[in-house]
Amino acid sequence: MKEETFLQLPVYIHEKGVESMRRVQSIICASLIVGSFMVNMFGCASKSVQSGGETQASRPETKSGAGQDLPDTSFSGRDSSGGLRGLDKNPSEERLGSGGSLMAKADPGSAGRQIEDIRAEQAAVAAGLRDIFFAYDSFAISEDGRQVLAHDAEWIKANPGAQVKIEGHCDERGTSAYNLVLGEKRAKAARNYLVELGVTPNHLSIVSYGKERPVCKEHVESCYAQNRRAHMLLKTGK
Amino acid sequence: MAFRAGVIISLCLSAGLVWIIESGAADVFLEATRPDFQKIPLGVVGIENAGGAESPEGRIRLGSRIEEVLKADVRRSLVFSLVDLSGIGVKVNHLGKTPDPSFKQAAEQGVSVIVWGKAGMKNEDKDADVNMEGYVYDAGSDEMVGGKRYAGSPSVVRLMAHRFADELVFRYTGEPGIARTKIAYVSEVGPARELFVMDYDGHDPRQVTADGFLNLMPRWSPDRRFLVFTAYRNRNTQDIDMIELATGKRWTLVSLSGLNITPALSPDGNFLAFSSSHEGNSELYRMDTRTKDMQRLTVNAAGDLSPSWSPSGREIAFTSDRSGGPQVFLMSADGSNVRRLTFEGDYNAAPAWSPRGNWIAYVCRSPKKDYKLCLISPDGQKRVQLTTGHGVDDSPSWSPDGRHLVFSSTADGKSQIYMINTDGKDLERITFTGTHNSAPTWSPAS
Repeated sequence: MKEETFLQLPVYIHEKGVESMRRVQSIICASLIVGSFMVNMFGCASKSVQSGGETQASRPETKSGAGQDLPDTSFSGRDSSGGLRGLDKNPSEERLGSGGSLMAKADPGSAGRQIEDIRAEQAAVAAGLRDIFFAYDSFAISEDGRQVLAHDAEWIKANPGAQVKIEGHCDERGTSAYNLVLGEKRAKAARNYLVELGVTPNHLSIVSYGKERPVCKEHVESCYAQNRRAHMLLKTGK
Repeated sequence: MAFRAGVIISLCLSAGLVWIIESGAADVFLEATRPDFQKIPLGVVGIENAGGAESPEGRIRLGSRIEEVLKADVRRSLVFSLVDLSGIGVKVNHLGKTPDPSFKQAAEQGVSVIVWGKAGMKNEDKDADVNMEGYVYDAGSDEMVGGKRYAGSPSVVRLMAHRFADELVFRYTGEPGIARTKIAYVSEVGPARELFVMDYDGHDPRQVTADGFLNLMPRWSPDRRFLVFTAYRNRNTQDIDMIELATGKRWTLVSLSGLNITPALSPDGNFLAFSSSHEGNSELYRMDTRTKDMQRLTVNAAGDLSPSWSPSGREIAFTSDRSGGPQVFLMSADGSNVRRLTFEGDYNAAPAWSPRGNWIAYVCRSPKKDYKLCLISPDGQKRVQLTTGHGVDDSPSWSPDGRHLVFSSTADGKSQIYMINTDGKDLERITFTGTHNSAPTWSPAS
């Protein structure tokens, strides 16, 4: 918090000052890290004795699933002039390049996947699987929703090879980010209710699209209502 | 010289605190975000059409195009106020670097800075170099205090104006300006949503991804080389990816089960904060980009998402619905010291910490259930609603100078991208084409 307060002040420090401050900071940081590492070593040792040596649970770090080596994203601060050379009474010519023109590469697999998606939609319709709809801001399953899911559950239980994907969707109101979380809550609510009705969990998977893939694009409540849904897809295998 | 000193002293007074730096590149630093800051009156006489080109029409377009871009940049800088010189008899100087005697007249009427220049092509070949010269007259010293000469292909004409505008800002504030910054955003391409990057004024959009499905909520790396974003490769895999803008090379940063969203790189580039639901519900995590080690930051049965780093990298603002509806919370970057920041209203989300540290912008739901932009100080003491009217405003992102926000809004029907000053003035729409443009993110300064 201290440093934020400091940043509010209209103070500009000469670049050298920043550098030397950084150096001091990194020395402090390094010693803190070493210090905390030592504390941790002893702290953890005594803790794991108390908890019966359950090291797995006390380890806070995991891997993110990142596969390849990542490029270096470290950033040590920018040149305060932002690459500008300043005005000059006798200016020499500066040549400007366009900075490269990236052309996005189309993913060759995307068309095939779109066809798969269409098949999964059609398969769900053919099987009579129905979507459920939600109230504004809510992921609670309505009475209508329960009836629909009861029907869906019967079909899934009767078709043990079926793999059903439940997509959570939202209307356009609210933020993009929070609607992704809300969409996941809707998909989860539907899945959990199906499991309650006896569907084996590994026949079900969920995904959230938030407000990013609306089925209806008008700015009216009738349209919003259609978009607040848990949408059923049936994977066809091939 | 006395006038110049006067200008500097009044700038000192309005800024409160000024550092004169030794390097000589710029002589005054000032704080142009203070409400009592007086903009510097600047007039653009014109960018003349220089010789060389055969087609008079082509020449006229070139000069006036640069002039138009330059004037818009000067206005958006919020450092200068653009003075209309046409009414006070100021002439373009055809001789180049020497100020016209009429400039002094304008200075006497309060104009502090006068800018003029010329632009032309070496010959009529459409691929020939464009040359631009721009000069600056300072009323305080009553002389031409500096200029620039640029050359490049016709594709960099706008960049010449942007670069010259940034030089003006740099000269008078010591800050690099924002005219060369970029905005990354999401745009609808057929059934898909893809990443794009455009100039800060909405020009020159370039498509960055073409996956054919869904890519969302890009964020810049602090060195501007990369974008990190939420990537749905298809309906079965949803990752956090990173793309290198110069090459299109791509990496998967986070590939866990569930929802992996809202990535944000720390100001030093060493950590990626993001939200993942792989342990059940959406929680915030922090990944060391060098070791790929991951640390969980939040422990809560509710949804935690949308991390935004403070400029120091010590704190993170985020959205959480642990108290019912979504609200903005703050915590230390290690997940400790969590406290709720917003209390007004039942929906506050998508926080964005300003690069100056003094404000957090976010989406607030008004009593009329409109989603608008609000600003709150990190201590929660000051709060203002910035936008009004109908439509859903979303994804506020700060300009690197902390004077503007870019955001998406459905105020005109379809989602488009807008810019606004932090005082709520100068609302400007910057995207006009396409069926859906959203999730804008302003790049760091160059």
